[in-house]
Amino acid sequence: MSILYDEGQQAIATESRRVLDARMDKARLLKLLEQVGEHDAPFWDTAVEQGWTALAVPEEHGGLGLGLIELGLVAQACGAATSGAPFLTGGYGVSQALVQGGNAALAAQWLPRLASGEAIGCVAIAEGNAALPPAPAVSFADGKLSGTKPAVPGGQKADVALVWASKDGQPVLVLAELAGAARNAVDSYDNSRLYADLVFAGTPATELAAGDAARALVLDVMGRMAVVTAHEQVGGAEALLHIARDYANTRKAFGQPIGMFQAIKHRVAEMYGLVEIARANCIHAAASEGTAEFLTAAADARISATEAYDTNSRDCVQIHGGIGVTWELGLHLHMRRARSLAVECGNLVFWEDLLVERLQGEVA
Amino acid sequence: MSELEAYRAKARAFLESMAPKYGRDARSGNTVEQDLALGREYMAKKYDAGFAGINWSPDIGGQGLTHLHKITFDAEEMQFGMPVQFFGISLGMPVPILIHYCEDKEFVKERVRKALRGEEIWCQMFSEPSGGSDLAALRTKVESDGNGWKMNGQKIWTSWAQYCDYGVIVTRSDPTVEKHKGLTYFWIDMKSKGVDVRPIKLAGGDSHVNEIFFDDVRIEDSQRLGAVGGGFGVSLHTLMIERYIATDSGGFGPHLDEFVKLAKRVDINAKPAIEDGRVRSAIARNHAMRAGLDSITKRAFAMMMAGMQPGPEGSLQKLVAVRSRQKLSEMAMDLMGNEGLAFDPHAYVKTDWGTSWLNAPTGRIAGGSDEVLLNTIAEKILGLPQDYRPDKGVPFNAIPA
Repeated sequence: MSILYDEGQQAIATESRRVLDARMDKARLLKLLEQVGEHDAPFWDTAVEQGWTALAVPEEHGGLGLGLIELGLVAQACGAATSGAPFLTGGYGVSQALVQGGNAALAAQWLPRLASGEAIGCVAIAEGNAALPPAPAVSFADGKLSGTKPAVPGGQKADVALVWASKDGQPVLVLAELAGAARNAVDSYDNSRLYADLVFAGTPATELAAGDAARALVLDVMGRMAVVTAHEQVGGAEALLHIARDYANTRKAFGQPIGMFQAIKHRVAEMYGLVEIARANCIHAAASEGTAEFLTAAADARISATEAYDTNSRDCVQIHGGIGVTWELGLHLHMRRARSLAVECGNLVFWEDLLVERLQGEVA
Repeated sequence: MSELEAYRAKARAFLESMAPKYGRDARSGNTVEQDLALGREYMAKKYDAGFAGINWSPDIGGQGLTHLHKITFDAEEMQFGMPVQFFGISLGMPVPILIHYCEDKEFVKERVRKALRGEEIWCQMFSEPSGGSDLAALRTKVESDGNGWKMNGQKIWTSWAQYCDYGVIVTRSDPTVEKHKGLTYFWIDMKSKGVDVRPIKLAGGDSHVNEIFFDDVRIEDSQRLGAVGGGFGVSLHTLMIERYIATDSGGFGPHLDEFVKLAKRVDINAKPAIEDGRVRSAIARNHAMRAGLDSITKRAFAMMMAGMQPGPEGSLQKLVAVRSRQKLSEMAMDLMGNEGLAFDPHAYVKTDWGTSWLNAPTGRIAGGSDEVLLNTIAEKILGLPQDYRPDKGVPFNAIPA
């Protein structure tokens, strides 16, 4: 796949940015931080209305049949806007597992609903501080799930979850309808992520893959979600670069714009470098979808995007001085999002290890 | 196979045929003089095989292909370690400027042929003791002298000048106007009377740069390139010619695979170093960074193929790659422990960590220091204001010393 965006892809990028610019409201997002159990409805309505939920779902299941490149561009716009719901990435993870898993009936049941936005999906893989536990404590037996998945993004409102569990000492990926599961909302530093502990006590679920097939599938799903998230992180990091640049150009101290001081301007230039390296990795990873090098490219994208968003959050606030730490200015929306996205779908330690394992294998 | 891929294959076949005599292994242990002689031979072979002046017009002896063909060939050639370092600047900047500005076309054709064949080498004399980053602060002066000019002053950091036949130079012709408006650009014969080239030994032990003194050097007006007072513009043009060159995300040091090999070979606390979290993190971060730079390069290449102008992010390459090479080299030396204390001054920079480390600072300074590159990114790409400039709008001879 090409690493140059075509006209259609450029249009998706421009249009998603335009719509979000017009409809996002900082005051609304700030309010959500202090509420548990609420997401930004205008954002999610926009996502559904614009067809973003359908982007990467195959056409035969009511989707648009596009791929990671297009979804990544939308995610980038969402990241710039610190959009107030985590459902796009979770929904994508679930639909990819359904597309690749071996259950056509289940795919036919859920994919059209996920594509239309009628159903919300979430992905529950992590346990404790492990992004991908080799032997998950959540168990699956006789078609039923037992155990708890902690702080699942979107877990408070999702209709269906992709769950990483153990069955007879083997890992399995299963799909569980959440109507019958208990959810304990987590009061978080980024509450619109809707984190919830999902508590399964004999919750019915359907197996999608087991053993080595499950390991391969879960890695592919995590890689894809990591690439979407990396785009979102790049969007956030780039927004912070622009905010920092504009402030450095207008704020004056000692009789000149602070951007004339190299302590400031070099910091802004470094922010640019981090954004462009992460963006380049994202483009490469999205274009490598389905190839043997995909997971390596996904890890590169994830690592550089996490570094870019974290660093730019830190430095953008620093460049602002006192005003940067106020509730009202809202830079903390990005600070919070940078950290929540850094932890969701595999932290740096996980992706660094995964990348090194792969490089170790390549170098004799 | 695309036409460009076919070209790449053809280039590779040629390079493979040359490698046994001119490649990295063949050069091992050469003195600089032996290496230069070998380099001249290789350049002649390259010329005869039609791989010289790849993107230059056939009118002046080039191959008439595109810039992409040239980058393609260069990227392949880089992998073989051919003795081309003496000719990179010569053919990269001074000769193209001569082609563009010199009106005596027969003279140009002769110089181009000899420069491409490695028989003559050109240097570029810009930096001075009074200014490297601040090019327009230069003081080497020319005065009218009959129908020509008389030059006095000093240049510094001039690569390979001790082996050069010709050079291009920017000088101050009028100190009474703003500093960048009083400059004039010439080509000169390095064997002229009054030119004194003295090599400077660098920290790594080699002496590829020089200081050059000029004592009443006579220059004909026909040697002027561009208008009187137009030297700054010609200088900028010189620096822009090689804007898109073959890059190396390893910062022209060892490939990351070399580091992974080392980490697999040595132990930390009786376990392979590659199992150590500090080492793993360094490998992963470096890989992500280099992959990003490689992807920027690939995208720039694809854009040029599509007839578009590549984005400004290409300017990150040297800044990011060389400083990370410096730190990774330090870590590699740590991993080797006392084994890494031995030093071979002739070791190859792309396989030897000590050599890579010791020469990395040169890379962070030459061709734009990290700080100048950061300023350029901030000002030209992001639109941040210029630094405070007390010399702005002031005649050169009135700038506070």
